[in-house]
Amino acid sequence: MEKAAQRQKVLLSHLASAHGTPEVAPQPTSAESHDRRAGDLDDVVIVSTCRTALCRARRGGFKDTPVDDLIAAVLKDTLRRTGIEPEAVGDIVFGSVMGPSSQRANELRMAMLFAGFPHTVPVHTLNRQCSSGLQAMASVAASIKAGYYTMAIAGGVEHMTSNPMNWEGTVNPRVATCQEAADCLIPMGITSENVSAQFGMTRAEQDAFALRSHRLAAAARAAGKFKNEIVPVETVLKDANGEERRVTISEDDGIRPEVTLATLAALKPAFKKGGSTTAGSSSQTTDGAAAVLMMTRREARRRGLPVLAIFRSFAAVGVPPAIMGIGPVAAIPEAVRRAGLGLDDVDVFEINEAFASQALYTVKKLGLDLERVNPNGGAIALGHPLGCTGARQAATLINEMQRRGKAARFGVISMCIGSGMGAAAVLERDFSDDAERSARPATGVHAGLSRQFAG
Amino acid sequence: MPGFKTAFQGYGVRFSPFEDSKMAVATSQNFGIIGNGRQYVLQMTPQGLQEVRTFDTVDGLYDCCWSEENENILLSASGDGSIKVWDVNAPPQANPLRSFEEHKHEAYCLHWNQVRRDCFLSGSWDDTIKLWNLESPHSLRTFAEHSYCVYAAQWNPQQADIFLSASGDCTVKVFDTRQPRPTLSLSAHQHEVLTADWCKYNDCLLATGSVDKSVKVWDVRAPARPVAVLAGHGYAVRRVLFSPHAETLLASCSYDMTVRLWDFAAPEEAALRVWDHHTEFAVGLDWSPLSEGLLASCGWDGMTWVWHSSADPRQA
Repeated sequence: MEKAAQRQKVLLSHLASAHGTPEVAPQPTSAESHDRRAGDLDDVVIVSTCRTALCRARRGGFKDTPVDDLIAAVLKDTLRRTGIEPEAVGDIVFGSVMGPSSQRANELRMAMLFAGFPHTVPVHTLNRQCSSGLQAMASVAASIKAGYYTMAIAGGVEHMTSNPMNWEGTVNPRVATCQEAADCLIPMGITSENVSAQFGMTRAEQDAFALRSHRLAAAARAAGKFKNEIVPVETVLKDANGEERRVTISEDDGIRPEVTLATLAALKPAFKKGGSTTAGSSSQTTDGAAAVLMMTRREARRRGLPVLAIFRSFAAVGVPPAIMGIGPVAAIPEAVRRAGLGLDDVDVFEINEAFASQALYTVKKLGLDLERVNPNGGAIALGHPLGCTGARQAATLINEMQRRGKAARFGVISMCIGSGMGAAAVLERDFSDDAERSARPATGVHAGLSRQFAG
Repeated sequence: MPGFKTAFQGYGVRFSPFEDSKMAVATSQNFGIIGNGRQYVLQMTPQGLQEVRTFDTVDGLYDCCWSEENENILLSASGDGSIKVWDVNAPPQANPLRSFEEHKHEAYCLHWNQVRRDCFLSGSWDDTIKLWNLESPHSLRTFAEHSYCVYAAQWNPQQADIFLSASGDCTVKVFDTRQPRPTLSLSAHQHEVLTADWCKYNDCLLATGSVDKSVKVWDVRAPARPVAVLAGHGYAVRRVLFSPHAETLLASCSYDMTVRLWDFAAPEEAALRVWDHHTEFAVGLDWSPLSEGLLASCGWDGMTWVWHSSADPRQA
């Protein structure tokens, strides 16, 4: 009888589209929640994701590009990809970490005007450190749910060439009275050393993880897997003599296909004598931007836009600042729980590789199948443009899930956050259907015959 | 010609490539969910379709296919994963000639190579496609590149080594049997792809049909976007087939119970005909390779129809 039930399930899924909601999911998981919710018109869905190439700070393709040009590129391409009228966008929310707060908000405003949005569309930036790009998506999702608007653009940007990581001004001397407050000042590299020391992550396994990131990213780039998500950006690039030339940047330039375990093993610890974290097993500093168009399913259906993914849940949690890298260990289970799922239900994880130490510890501690984690490499190879990363991961994750078709239903984005936090979100591919949009009435039984049948 | 009523529900119909009046119909009891199967061989006569042979199987049959090298050899794809080989001229006790039992789940589609004529493909709900030769007891090769049910596998009508496959993983893949991996993976639809076929006159063109109700025509040299999107079916498209006699003509059948005729070269007026002779899902469809414009269909109403594309099945 089980066979009969299986057959019924496969055949019923062929009728899924006609009803708006699938009666039976093609590959049901243990989750109770998704069938209950599938097809809900109030779901917040993603209909477009795109990003610029990720380029090395100070040496890469965007070192001479103004930050608002990066933002404008992804905003403009979001319009191009979806054909929405710009004045209908309810808000533009961008994560940005190192850029001066008010100036960056102004630059975002200018960028949207460059991109062709009218001044009637509002914008704001936000900062939850390395999760800012994801936080922008979560904030937009929440605002849509609250009814502030039905459609908005979330995104993130970072230009680490012009805004390197540093501390401005003095530190409150009261930190001496609060250990955890003082821990917030620990350089990120040292927090990585703390994670590897406390949880016994060896140099060798960190190097191997870094190698994996480069190998996977190189393979993905060679296979053209990033093509769909990357918006080519026309810009200027100065060579060593200060000579300017016009270039189009359409490929990530941090990936090193030639890297080997030997070259990684030869690197000196970057942050601490006798430490295990090197430049090779840390994320790269990077320039880049990404944008995600989100709306209610009702709005997507009305506009006939494809639902790339449903924004299912989000969680931000706190962890000890001295070992901030373990953020995903706390955030992922929480986000997955809020989606009504178990870790086994998740098909693809995009876990930001701030450091090999913490990314690998997350995989080990949560018992994740490494095959499901960062299948196209991560920040060690691609780079980590802080404020952009969450939105960049959304683009990479959604494209990967699309390629896998029905084999991938749930995906997770997660990252650790400086000063001791983690954030995670669950995205779900939409296997219910919005294909009504593509169907139009038949031309009629007695429509004119072609030349083959005329007379 | 009046329709022919089979005892079980129809899943696949194929004209013989050797005799223009002969055809095969694969059927399943209880809509293929549970029960037996029966393979029919029918003959078109002036009095209508008449039964020539039947072969019974313990599990439902989802597709059938004639040999391209021997006019008496017929294959059936069974729900138990086996592929039955029948000799239409041999006595009952000699049949099935063979039973290939490798697929781990339902065998769902079959296609004989029309160029080399010595091998055939089977696609299965175990996500694989297998390449077979009647002389070999085991499959020659297994293509495990899909991540969900394979619903169709079709040889290219001109290139002996090229075939395509359509899957519930929403992709259509193109394989060259001389290569280890697929040469193209096309994310053809946002929903399951239930069928695909090659154009018989342009070996770079293919058509796909999906749960999203659309038929799309693609050029494998420019797979970024479809050449044409044909909308009209009200439910999932179950089969799409290019005409053997005209480059831009396509027929499709659907869970919306209709069979439709399209000319994809006329994008605004692509829908040429809609036939609503079935009263249940229209599942099986074929063009006669020998008589121009002749079509056959079968469905879950247990009816098999043969008609000319310029007429209505019930009137002809």
